[in-house]
Amino acid sequence: MSADNTPGVEERPTRDVTLTVNGEDLSASVEPRLKLSDFLRQHAGCRGVRVGCEHGVCGACTVSVDGDLVKSCLMYAVQTDGSQVRTVEGLAEDGSLHPIQEAFHEEHALQCGFCTSGFVMSTQALLSENPDPSHEEMEDHLSSNICRCTGYQNIYDAVERAADRLEDLDVDP
Amino acid sequence: MKPAPFEYHRPETVAEATDLLAEFDGAELMAGNQSLGIVMANRLATPDHIVDINGIDEIQYVDADGEAVEVGALVRHRDLAASDALAETLPMLPEAADQIAGPVVRNRGTLGGSIGEADPAGNYPCVLVTLGGELELASASGRRTVDAADFFVAYMVTAIDEGELVTNVRFPTAPYPPERTGMAFLEQKPAAQTWPTLSAAAAVRVDDPGAADPVVERARVGLANAADVPLRVPDAESEVEGEPVSGGALDAAGEVAYDAVDPQPELHADETYKRELAREYTKRALRTAYERATT
Repeated sequence: MSADNTPGVEERPTRDVTLTVNGEDLSASVEPRLKLSDFLRQHAGCRGVRVGCEHGVCGACTVSVDGDLVKSCLMYAVQTDGSQVRTVEGLAEDGSLHPIQEAFHEEHALQCGFCTSGFVMSTQALLSENPDPSHEEMEDHLSSNICRCTGYQNIYDAVERAADRLEDLDVDP
Repeated sequence: MKPAPFEYHRPETVAEATDLLAEFDGAELMAGNQSLGIVMANRLATPDHIVDINGIDEIQYVDADGEAVEVGALVRHRDLAASDALAETLPMLPEAADQIAGPVVRNRGTLGGSIGEADPAGNYPCVLVTLGGELELASASGRRTVDAADFFVAYMVTAIDEGELVTNVRFPTAPYPPERTGMAFLEQKPAAQTWPTLSAAAAVRVDDPGAADPVVERARVGLANAADVPLRVPDAESEVEGEPVSGGALDAAGEVAYDAVDPQPELHADETYKRELAREYTKRALRTAYERATT
């Protein structure tokens, strides 16, 4: 795959980064071209970050950086030096699923599951901003994520269930 | 789907950024990376140097207090969409920002990135050309101002030189007093994440919003993805100026737009369909802007 002018691995520039992933500090030396999605999988062990299209379309790699939802394939790890990153692994506490994850489980909001962590992260961001979204608001917000199995209805049902559950529990997503 | 290797630079001022552009031939600016990242992932761009401008605070501002609305190039779609000051003074801009892609893209994508990309389907280029905006460009040798009408040259080609970056844009506010101006930005697109097939922007100023039939003093109409550059349609504007907006005037403006555009056929939108969209969306945008001006 490498073109003639591609420098060898040993000649390529690297940068040191230190960031916080799901509450844990992490330092690494990375090539600037290393995508945040690959960094999270390879250096942080966050295999819940799915690498789908790798060019910003599918939403499977969606994570939160400093509180903002981003497609981690369109950021480079070098850009997140000093940042707080949260992935789907950061949702469950003490081995118990997060209410949003429970809702996805109960509503059968997945089949193959490849897209699910992206949808769960998007749902978490949506319900943080808007605890009681309308169907239209759900559609608009989740338009950044693609599911090729379920047809979305069960996903919307899961978002509604999660919103109700969080309201009953009186907790922030 | 992995980009080619590059060296990474993260300036904190415009001056540092322009020095880097001058030093490294062919360096690419990176802002929100929602378009460049795709191009690099597909190895359609393989820059040796990336100048990441996300740390430049001096181009992240909205100033709507003066005689012009001025917006820094690094303001993100999300923040434009949520700006109360812009909703009051220049509502076309937040309405356009809020319709770009999906919310995750809007968290990162920027005004300047969209302008620099200069896709004729882009929302901000259309807003700039429609409202008569101007752009400020900086390079290591100084700054200059370019009218939006002169900036967009051809499909994804602009008047920007190597070594320059867009620092901010300005819109005149005197022609658009909020109390008697209405604006609209309407997109036709098949799915949230895609580019619009066509968009129409309109601004309408009336003489007296309280009158029974307010007269249009000034109209502006622009179309996106209707030619190889964002297209203002002055002849459609004059069809509705000088009288209250009527069905007949809107029809006439729509016919002008149908003839004025020069659209590229696409897989699911041939040239005739896009002409028909131009006609219909010109009418809808003008009607909506007029309604907003008069209520």
